[in-house]
Amino acid sequence: MRHARVERWSRGNSAIHRRHAAAKILATLALLISIASLRADAVAACGLYLILLFMVAAKARLPLGPVFRSAAAVVPFALCFAVLTALAGDPARAVRLTVRAYLSSLAALLLIATTPMPDLIAGLECLRAPRFLLQIMQFLYRYLVVLMEEASAMRQAGAARAGSVARLRFRQAAAAVGVLFARSYARAEAIHRAMLARGFEGRIPVFARRSFRLSDAAFVAVAAVLVIGVRAV
Amino acid sequence: MHIPDGFLSVPVWGTMDAIAIPSVALIAKRAQREFDHHRIPLMGVMGAFIFAAQMINFPVGNGTSGHLLGGALLSFTLGPAAASIVMTAILATQALVFQDGGLLALGANVFNMAIAGVLAGYLPYVLLRGKKAGIFLGGVSSVLVSALLALAELFRSGVRMPSAALAVSIGLFVISAVVEGAITLAVMQALERRKPGLVPRPRATGALAAASLALVGAGVFLASQLPDGIQKLALQTGIAARAQAILRSPLAGYKLQILASPVPARLLAGIIGLFVVYILCLGISRILTLSREGA
Repeated sequence: MRHARVERWSRGNSAIHRRHAAAKILATLALLISIASLRADAVAACGLYLILLFMVAAKARLPLGPVFRSAAAVVPFALCFAVLTALAGDPARAVRLTVRAYLSSLAALLLIATTPMPDLIAGLECLRAPRFLLQIMQFLYRYLVVLMEEASAMRQAGAARAGSVARLRFRQAAAAVGVLFARSYARAEAIHRAMLARGFEGRIPVFARRSFRLSDAAFVAVAAVLVIGVRAV
Repeated sequence: MHIPDGFLSVPVWGTMDAIAIPSVALIAKRAQREFDHHRIPLMGVMGAFIFAAQMINFPVGNGTSGHLLGGALLSFTLGPAAASIVMTAILATQALVFQDGGLLALGANVFNMAIAGVLAGYLPYVLLRGKKAGIFLGGVSSVLVSALLALAELFRSGVRMPSAALAVSIGLFVISAVVEGAITLAVMQALERRKPGLVPRPRATGALAAASLALVGAGVFLASQLPDGIQKLALQTGIAARAQAILRSPLAGYKLQILASPVPARLLAGIIGLFVVYILCLGISRILTLSREGA
C-alpha cells in the first residue's frame, strides 16, 4: 500500500527529517509558489528545481527510484489535460502543465515523506491552522486504514455471497455503504466514550512538543535563498 | 475532480485560497461552538468512512463502475457546517498524504467540493424537505456544481480544450452527477432501513440562506467564465459562427435589446443555464423515483 510506504519513509532519521515541521511546510510552500509563478519560458528553472528536489531526497536518504515514481501518480491526470490543451492549439502550455504538476507533486511528497503525520499536524498548528480542523484530520488519519480494512472485508464477503447477481449489485453496494456508515458511526461513539474515560477534554495532549530552533530558521532561510536564487538564473 | 498544482494561474489559486481559508476558519468556529468536543471523533471517523466507502464499487452499466463522492451524503447526515469541515479535512488529507490535488490548489478544491458542493447538495434536500427527489437532486447538484466550478477555474487560468472535448467532459460531469445522486439516494434508503432515526430531519436554518447565496455566487462565476471560454474556443477552432449561433440564439434578443452590457447578459445566461439544469435534474429524479416505486 502506497500510504504505508510513505508512512515508513517519514519515520527515517536525517537532517531533513529532524527539521521542525513548520520549517518544512514554509519551505515547501515557497517552492510551490515559485513553481506556480514561473514565466512560461523558464525551462532552466524547472530543471534546477528538479535537481534541488533530488538533492533534498538524497539528503533525507529516501529511496530515490520509488520516491520519483510515486510522485508521478499525478502524471496521467495531467497528461489528459495536456493532450486536450495541445489539441486546442497550445502545445507549450501542455508541456508546462505536466512538468509543473509533477514538480509540485514531488515537493508535496517530499514534505510528507520526511515528516510523520503527528509532527505535520503540530507544524500546521504552529502556523495557526484551525485546531478543530486539525484534530478532525488526526482522527481521520488514525481511522483511515481501520475503516478501509473493514470496507475491503465487506467487499470480499459481499462478493462471496452474491457477487454474480448483476441485477442486485447496485443495491448490494448501497447496503454495504449503509452498513459501513452505521458501523463507523457506532465506532466513533465508542471511541468518544473511551476517550472521555481517559480524561479527554477537547484537546489531544502532545507529549514531546518540538521547539522551533535556530537550525530550523536557518533551513527556511537557505530554502528561500535557493528558491529565489534559481528564479534569478 | 481534484485540481493539482501547476494547473491554476496565480490570480486564480490566490483568490480561491483567499476565499476558502477564512470561510473554513469561520465554519470551523461555528461548527466548534455548535457541536462541542464530542463531535470531533465522530467527524474524523466519518471522514475516514468516506475514504473507505470509496472502495465499494457501484456498477453503473456497460461494465464501468462508480463510487460515492460523499459531499451530499455528509451534509444530510451531519448537517452542512460539519459536512464542510469533514470534506475539508478529507481534501487536506488527500493533498498532504496522497498528493491527490495540489497544496496551493487546496483552496480552490475546498471551495468547489467542501463549501459550494456541500451547500449545493444541502439546498435541494432542505427545499424538498428530505424527500427522495431532494436526496437525489442533492447528490446531483453537489457534484455538478463542484465540477463546473473546477472547469471554470481551469478556463480562467487559461487552460483550453477543443470544444468537442469540452462537450464530452461536461457530458461526463452530468453522468457522474446523476450516478452520485443515485448512489446517495440508495445509501440513504439503506441507512434508513438499517437504522431509522439516525439521519436527522432537515432544518432550514441560516445554512439555507448561505447555500442560496453561495449558489448564486457560483452561478455568476460560472456564467462569467464558461461562456467566455466556450466563445474563445469556438473562435479558436474555427467553427465560431456555428457554435456562437447555437450558444447565443436563445438569448440573442435579450442581449441586443434589453441588456446593453455583456456582463448582465452573461449573468442571466448563467442563471438560466443553472435553472435549466435544475429542471432537468428534477425531471430525471421524478422519473427515477416513480419507476422505483412502481417496481
